[in-house]
Amino acid sequence: MTIICLSFLIVGVFLSLSNNLQHMAKELSTNMVVTFFLDKAATAAEIKGIEQKVLGSPLVSGVKVVGAEEARDRFQKNFPDLKDILANLKINPFPPSLEARLKDTAPASREVAKLVQDVRQMKGVEDVQFNQDWVDKMQSLSRLAKAVGFFLGGILMLASFFIISNVIKLNVLDRKNEIEILRLVGATNIFIRIPFLFEGIALGVMGSTVSLAFLLLATKLFPVYIGSLGALQQLMNFRYLSLSQALGLIAAGGVIGCLGSLSSVSKFLKT
Amino acid sequence: MDGFKKNLIELFHIYKQYQPPQWALSDISLQVRNGDFYFITGPSGSGKTTLLKIIFREFPPSQGQIVIDGVNILKIPNHRIHELRRTMGIVFQDFRLLFHRTVFDNVAIPLQVLGEPRKEIRRRVFNTLRMVNLHQKMWDLPSRLSYGEQQRVAIARAIVNNPKILLADEPTGNLDPELAFEIITLFKEINKQGATVIIGSHDRELIRHFGDRILFLQKGKLIGKDAL
Repeated sequence: MTIICLSFLIVGVFLSLSNNLQHMAKELSTNMVVTFFLDKAATAAEIKGIEQKVLGSPLVSGVKVVGAEEARDRFQKNFPDLKDILANLKINPFPPSLEARLKDTAPASREVAKLVQDVRQMKGVEDVQFNQDWVDKMQSLSRLAKAVGFFLGGILMLASFFIISNVIKLNVLDRKNEIEILRLVGATNIFIRIPFLFEGIALGVMGSTVSLAFLLLATKLFPVYIGSLGALQQLMNFRYLSLSQALGLIAAGGVIGCLGSLSSVSKFLKT
Repeated sequence: MDGFKKNLIELFHIYKQYQPPQWALSDISLQVRNGDFYFITGPSGSGKTTLLKIIFREFPPSQGQIVIDGVNILKIPNHRIHELRRTMGIVFQDFRLLFHRTVFDNVAIPLQVLGEPRKEIRRRVFNTLRMVNLHQKMWDLPSRLSYGEQQRVAIARAIVNNPKILLADEPTGNLDPELAFEIITLFKEINKQGATVIIGSHDRELIRHFGDRILFLQKGKLIGKDAL
């Protein structure tokens, strides 16, 4: 029982880790904004042209033109401590800009990079702020989390199957005498199998359920243990498995237990 | 009277080989009639256990045919072997009891397998235990019983289902002579009630005292019948 529970706990921990990684990657890659800083001397027609070009891209979900005044207001709002510095300046140092919000489904960053490159060359665009590396890293991280999830999850589930199968095999061996007696008094194979089948299913379901309970406890206690994460709190908000994942894990426990017991009892039921 | 009894077990030229070149059984042919009480005897390794195991189809013979109650049991498919075994009771030298279950539970197994109602199981188990004089120890664990009593539990389990055939492999092998006598007397009573009984034993004293029909095996061959 401990072994079964542990194997499911490993699977559960990994699934949860994968969930959190994917969530982090998603959090970072959504709301991705490319800021095109505009030349203060750019004409309204040039700005309109840039806006249309950016909006025309299928990667962009929306565009907002931020004037120099709005940029200064934002700065004052976000950094109230630096208000005085701005007050001493006679001119507004903030250039107008055009913020392009990328779609969540924005594909390979190569296409985003191409758009950035195209727009950068347009007249009226002075500079571009877009951290290409971050996009690349987040997308890689997301892909890696998925790949590792499938790979390790698969291996661990297979390992769990063998562990459960062996646990039940030991149990069957322990009750070999009972199986032998049942065969001799004329029990059908189904009659002999049913208790082991229930036992296997119960073991699998109980093992996975207990491991889920441990996992829940861990996800609740871990944030308390490591304390406040400040700005990272939102990113590192430890997530439990989704309902379908939890139910899937319990069902997998039942199926693995059932298959394990079927394969273990079979060899004692030759005739 | 014997002339009116029909053949219940018929073996035709049975051979059994576990590992070449030795034959565990070689050309065994015999007929056991309904209601007979047989001893199969012979030295260790003569094939007594193999012959009994072939009769309850623990495994098939290498050659030959076996007909029980008019049915060639070698033609019964594996998934229907349980039907044959339900007509037989089997007792072993090592009792084969479940020591973590009570005497009642052990004796009830064949009836539970048949899906008998709980009330019927209680009634029949109690009656059978009374027959073997163990009804007062019905709720004890077998480990608390003596060897003789444990063997009587095994016999009760074998007969609770009123089998036509009762097979016993060295049922007195672990018992002292007095208890052995008691056990064979019990088999005789069961035989009187209609079951055909075949006992494998090498205890010459017992056979001399109780045996009316005796089969002698030596090195897998049937070397004699009905005479000690």
